[in-house]
Amino acid sequence: MTLIWKLLRKHISIFELAVFFIANLIGMAVILAGIQIYSDIKPMLTGKKSLIGNEYIILTRPVERVGMGAPTFSAEDIADLNEQPFVVNLGLFAASQYEVDGSIMFNGRRLSTMMFFEAVPDSFIDVTSADWKFTPGDSTIPIILPRNYLNLYNFGFSQTQKLPQITEDMIKRVELGIRLSGNGHRDDYVGRVVGFSDRLNTILVPMEFMTWANGYYADAKDGKPTRLILEVENPGAPEVTNYLTEHGYAAEDKPSESSKALFLLKVCVAVIVGIGVIFSLLSIIILTLSIYLLLQKNITKLENLVLIGYTPTRVAMPYNLMTLTLNLSILVISLVVVYIAQGKYMGYLSDIAGYELSAMPTTAIVVGLLLTAAIIAFNFFIIYRKIRDISKRR
Amino acid sequence: MNTIRLSNVVPEIFASREDLHSDIWHTELTFERGKRYLIEAASGTGKSSLCSYLYGQRGDYRGTILFDNTDAAQLSANGWSDIRQHHISILFQDLKLFGELTALENVVIKNNITHAQTLDQITSWFGELGIADKLHARIDRMSYGQQQRVALIRALCQPYEFILLDEPISHLDDRNSDIMRDIIIRDAETKGAAIIATSIGKHMNMDYDKHLCL
Repeated sequence: MTLIWKLLRKHISIFELAVFFIANLIGMAVILAGIQIYSDIKPMLTGKKSLIGNEYIILTRPVERVGMGAPTFSAEDIADLNEQPFVVNLGLFAASQYEVDGSIMFNGRRLSTMMFFEAVPDSFIDVTSADWKFTPGDSTIPIILPRNYLNLYNFGFSQTQKLPQITEDMIKRVELGIRLSGNGHRDDYVGRVVGFSDRLNTILVPMEFMTWANGYYADAKDGKPTRLILEVENPGAPEVTNYLTEHGYAAEDKPSESSKALFLLKVCVAVIVGIGVIFSLLSIIILTLSIYLLLQKNITKLENLVLIGYTPTRVAMPYNLMTLTLNLSILVISLVVVYIAQGKYMGYLSDIAGYELSAMPTTAIVVGLLLTAAIIAFNFFIIYRKIRDISKRR
Repeated sequence: MNTIRLSNVVPEIFASREDLHSDIWHTELTFERGKRYLIEAASGTGKSSLCSYLYGQRGDYRGTILFDNTDAAQLSANGWSDIRQHHISILFQDLKLFGELTALENVVIKNNITHAQTLDQITSWFGELGIADKLHARIDRMSYGQQQRVALIRALCQPYEFILLDEPISHLDDRNSDIMRDIIIRDAETKGAAIIATSIGKHMNMDYDKHLCL
């Protein structure tokens, strides 16, 4: 092997190989980084812990006449919705059917108000808290407020009333007086805010509490829901909007921000990967030409090797090893680059997402291996074909 | 391989010529294992072409060349590699040595694929042929006569049933020519191989079974 290498390494142009190496390294690193970024960001736009979180739609029927009670969804409506292919998950809002009186001691004053509760199944709630639970007999009711309310207070109400602004943590420490009455019962509870929801624009209590309280403070007959929450893959999809218009349902949420963001992400990644592909293609052309030139310059030696009994495969081996080494080093270096880059941007993403993301360029490794295998196979093919041509009888 | 048969073989460029008087072209001819042939020719009569056809270097001929019963024209690249490693050895007229390698490396590069000879055997041939001091000299720094001897040693580094010698002693004096002859006869006899030598005048002194005129 060393002897053939000694013979055939002559005329290897370090410059051409260096150009190939750098160009393909850039191309490969850009492709892999682009694909890795895409696969890291995509779940944040579509997963349960969504960044923009609009793949949930809250449905209501518009109020048509005053005084007739809120329009409700019948069992048939719900069954029909459940059969729609775009519905991933469907939950019912349960509303309190008893009187709720809330009060708070604030700056020495007692503020009191009538209020209401709603509950949805836990899987639709975008707040996780260990205190989010209730068993009959507990004197504390966990509550989730819409973040909007706090914003409304901080940026609207408190400014005009010369009241201090409050933080989420302050509210979580406040005890609310809750008095529930109905069905011949009247009891006092402590309400405690355990979190703020960006998704659900209502005062939420756990479903366990709602079921129990509706049975205890009201007659157990379950009221028809006035609101539904749907989990859909893409709220902007035409079949979703068409269905809603057909049935006269109103969606409370705006059209999907996440699907727009996802589209934008796809465009950006396509552009980045496209640039990477162009780099890689050009570099492969450079390598191909360089190999052809190299084989052409060494043609007499190659012919003579074949004439003294070397098989074309054996003659190709030094060149195959050369391209193998080049391409594998490029793969390893690109993966290191992607790994370092990922470590950096994952920090930002974790900050935005609000939870820790693990950094492991799995997608880049898989795609990189496939790409490198394809490039190596192509190189082997052109080397073998050229040497086979050389060894043909004239 | 026991026979090489030439059936009506003629180089394409001679195909239209009517005035060919040759013991080889346009005839039925069989080279048999174990025998010695001398092919004498004037230059330009296709002597090197014949070697190229037998060795699969060129294919521009009419007629059929059979290795036993295999048509040489049907051999693949790997098929020829097998022939060149195990069945036919050749001492090229233009030697086909690698100028940037040393004399020993030129031999070893062949022996690496056949593993036919030991390093001891190779160096003892260098000694016998009077070029022991040139083992590690670069081929392109050696005289043509010295190179011819290196090329012979390389040709012996493989099993074979036929050995083609294309003007093997063109640049050797009589003494070295005789040494070369002795080595070739010794090696060919142990292998039961045929010797096919060409010459344009000066030829190795040995008992040939057949003289052929191109």
